[in-house]
Amino acid sequence: MSPVFHCYIHIPFCHHICPYCAFYKHKPGKLANDAFIAAILSQLDAEKSVLAEKLDTLYLGGGTPSLLSSVHLETLFRGLRPFISPETEVTLEANPATFDLKKARIMREIGINRISLGVQSFQTGILKTLGRDHSGEDAKIAFEILREAGFMNISIDLMFSIPGQTESLWQEDLDIVTSELKPEHVSSYNLTYEEDTEFLKRHESGELDENEDRDANLFYQAIDHLEAAGFGHYEISNYGQSGFESRHNRAYWTGKDYLGLGPGAVSTIHGIRAKTLPDTARFVESPTLKTEHETLTEEDRRIEAIAMQLRTREGLRINRVCSTNEPCSIETVLRSNPIESMTQQGLIEIRDERIFLTREGKALADPIASALI
Amino acid sequence: MSIELTRNFSIIAHIDHGKTTLSDRLLDFTQTVAKRDQQAQLLDSMDLERERGITIKSHPVCMEYPAKDGVTYQLNLLDTPGHVDFAYEVSRSLAACEGALLLIDAAQGVEAQTVANIHLANEQNLRVIPVINKIDLPSADVPAVLKQLEDILQIPAEEAIQASAKEGIGIEEILEAVVARVPPPSTAEFENDSLRASVFDSIFDTYRGVVSYVRMMSGTINPRDGIRMMSTGKTYEIKECGVFTPKQTKRDQLNPGDVGYIIANVKSSSDVKIGDTITGTIRPAARPLPGFKEIQPMVFSGIYPVSTDDLEQLKLGMGKLQINDAAFTFQAESSAALGFGFRCGFLGLLHMEIVQERLRREFNMDVISTYPGVIYKITKTDGEDVEVDNPSFLPEPQEIETIQEPMVRAYIMTPNDYIGDMMKLVAEKRGELENTETLDGTRVLLTCLLPLNEILVDFNDKLKSMTRGYGSMDYEHAEYRPANLVKLDMMISGEPVDAFSVIVHRDKAEFRGRHLAKKLKEVIPQQLFTVAIQAMIGGKIIARESITALRKNVTAKCYGGDISRKRKLLEKQKEGKKRMKSIGKVNIPQDAFIKVLKND
Repeated sequence: MSPVFHCYIHIPFCHHICPYCAFYKHKPGKLANDAFIAAILSQLDAEKSVLAEKLDTLYLGGGTPSLLSSVHLETLFRGLRPFISPETEVTLEANPATFDLKKARIMREIGINRISLGVQSFQTGILKTLGRDHSGEDAKIAFEILREAGFMNISIDLMFSIPGQTESLWQEDLDIVTSELKPEHVSSYNLTYEEDTEFLKRHESGELDENEDRDANLFYQAIDHLEAAGFGHYEISNYGQSGFESRHNRAYWTGKDYLGLGPGAVSTIHGIRAKTLPDTARFVESPTLKTEHETLTEEDRRIEAIAMQLRTREGLRINRVCSTNEPCSIETVLRSNPIESMTQQGLIEIRDERIFLTREGKALADPIASALI
Repeated sequence: MSIELTRNFSIIAHIDHGKTTLSDRLLDFTQTVAKRDQQAQLLDSMDLERERGITIKSHPVCMEYPAKDGVTYQLNLLDTPGHVDFAYEVSRSLAACEGALLLIDAAQGVEAQTVANIHLANEQNLRVIPVINKIDLPSADVPAVLKQLEDILQIPAEEAIQASAKEGIGIEEILEAVVARVPPPSTAEFENDSLRASVFDSIFDTYRGVVSYVRMMSGTINPRDGIRMMSTGKTYEIKECGVFTPKQTKRDQLNPGDVGYIIANVKSSSDVKIGDTITGTIRPAARPLPGFKEIQPMVFSGIYPVSTDDLEQLKLGMGKLQINDAAFTFQAESSAALGFGFRCGFLGLLHMEIVQERLRREFNMDVISTYPGVIYKITKTDGEDVEVDNPSFLPEPQEIETIQEPMVRAYIMTPNDYIGDMMKLVAEKRGELENTETLDGTRVLLTCLLPLNEILVDFNDKLKSMTRGYGSMDYEHAEYRPANLVKLDMMISGEPVDAFSVIVHRDKAEFRGRHLAKKLKEVIPQQLFTVAIQAMIGGKIIARESITALRKNVTAKCYGGDISRKRKLLEKQKEGKKRMKSIGKVNIPQDAFIKVLKND
């Protein structure tokens, strides 16, 4: 069995619940963080046999991992230390106003070498709509602190398609990122109305409206601006300076195995996908309990490849379009109705037996994927 | 019983004027078995008939009535279908009678259907006995109705019997009038006593096969007799004969003047044609009785299963309905939009609704119907005459010399206040006013010629709402007339969608095309490309809409925890695609078509 090189740790705590977020998260509550960290380490201990000697990537997401105290972070990384090499990409998701310089230095010292900073916007009005509890200024300060602490690989999360967001407000955000802060990486997400969120309810009631034309324009605006600033658009929502693309996320997109630790974290190992119980209290009691077991078939893998690889700069191998059960030739695929008509409409391009989304195609990745399966 | 003591009569009435109550009351009075018992034995269309207050099948009943003159008479009551869709069946039932009770509601007065009924009764030379029913109602206005009788129907007021079937008032007087005024059946016109029996209805009994309802004109029928259907020449052997008491009650013989039933070894209702003459294989009659016509469907519509899996089930259900309803026709057809289904023919709108409703109820089928249409007669430029009941088969415009459409003569009764609105409606529907008759200072009777096609869908509803329910309408089929008709095709991305093709008057084509294009725009989901919806007549676009292409539809995040969800969504979409219809490269959920067809 090939070893697993990628590990994700889910830290579900948030001081404040953002009304658009669908991840498993909750306020820290009365739960002792000591016990939580111990549970993560105990899960790691139970499942570490699948891991490679040294991880290629380790990613702490949330929730708000930066809410963990320095002490807890140190305890956690003591347990993780054996799996980390100087080459391991170790990312921590951090929110502005959850750390100071002292804590940032500790983060750097324990081995974290990449920060994904949840900025979302620098505009007061937009941040208010999103229900974020930090200001644009907090975000800039947080970025400076990280730089001062020695982080040379920082990603900034931005959001667009937010009600009330105009092209000029979005441009201001993009300008601050490229002219002022100059991070190595940007994740630019369009607001999605996810199931079981307050935003979806408000969207359905008509309070929060969506404008497809505006959203398309904001999307193209980001591509144009960030590419001009030297970022490579290597996945629909991700832009990186050369060499700073997220190796961890790429592992997902290329179908690599990964171990997930913490409540609600998903693992995919040797063809089996499962989720750790998305319930912090029960997780602390029995850290290895899993739910949603799935054995992935070749056809599952194929559909997932279409869903994910189509979104990447590397494109999708054309033979993925043939169903696993009914193999077909590349010539047949090229002549097939969806491929031919989408090529004609300039939504996709075929090069070197791979399918790539064009600029217009990127904005329509979901229906295109649907047409290809 | 002697033929001199037999009276055959029916009851004709506008809907809700109390026909069923009066029948029940006559049965009670003559101590014939309560009608309730009969109902259990009748076919399943009964629920629908009762619910809608209409009679679809004939329910003959034989009563014995000891009259005041001390003699007991045999009274055969033929309950007939009341609706114009079944006008031919009605005419055959009436042909089996010598008299008719014309029932008029004392509060409502003469209605459109009353007028149409009188026309039918007069055609059969029936002795009409007017009965003013519901005289006990506070709103009853007997003098007004008497005046309408004279003014509208030219029936002397003194002939009218005042009654309340509900309260049992006037029942004996009605029975006495039937005895006194309706003549006994006559056999004088027949040169010999060869068997002649007229078939006026038939039902299908699962255990006994087809039961034919007959009126004996001359000769006799006995079990084991050989009989011949004169229209088809097919011969059968009588297994059983009898009369309605009202249950089917076996008799050894049917005699001239009798109304009864026969069971021969007939397998399907389509082998027993209503209006046909039955004669004997020995000493057959030279000529059939007059008035026989092959029943021809007048209204056509495609019926499709909503789920393609139900196609076989639907076919089975239609077959079963047809066994009992020879006027209903169906044949397989396929539509690019709706898949496989059936082209169905009906006697009229009500008949169509009944069949659809029975498919839903009795066979649990979820079906979708295309726009009802009629039969057009086309003379082509090369001189050939063709009939078309499906817009898809209309010849190309350049091959058409003339198109003729079927007309109806409609009797519309409306309160004076709404005459203007009614005339406007008639004009809108391309109607032509033939006659206006003032009835009683408050209402008028409009007689007009209307294209059948124009009254198929919403005419009656509009009439009712326009007159706040006080207007009524009935119609009879009239001649064919040339009209400026065109085929309107709807196209999606340049591909015609057959389910929406209609034959429509040129002047209305644009409105209809625009309307349909808008509807389709509402229901077809956005695609990856712009979708053009066009309405077209003979290659010329007369209306268009377009559905703009999607511009943005992309999930924000796709990381470890999202992958399964994303895959399952795609799998679900793939499943969903199987239920889509492809019109060219446009994928359209079938329920989009259904929405347009159902709500239009």
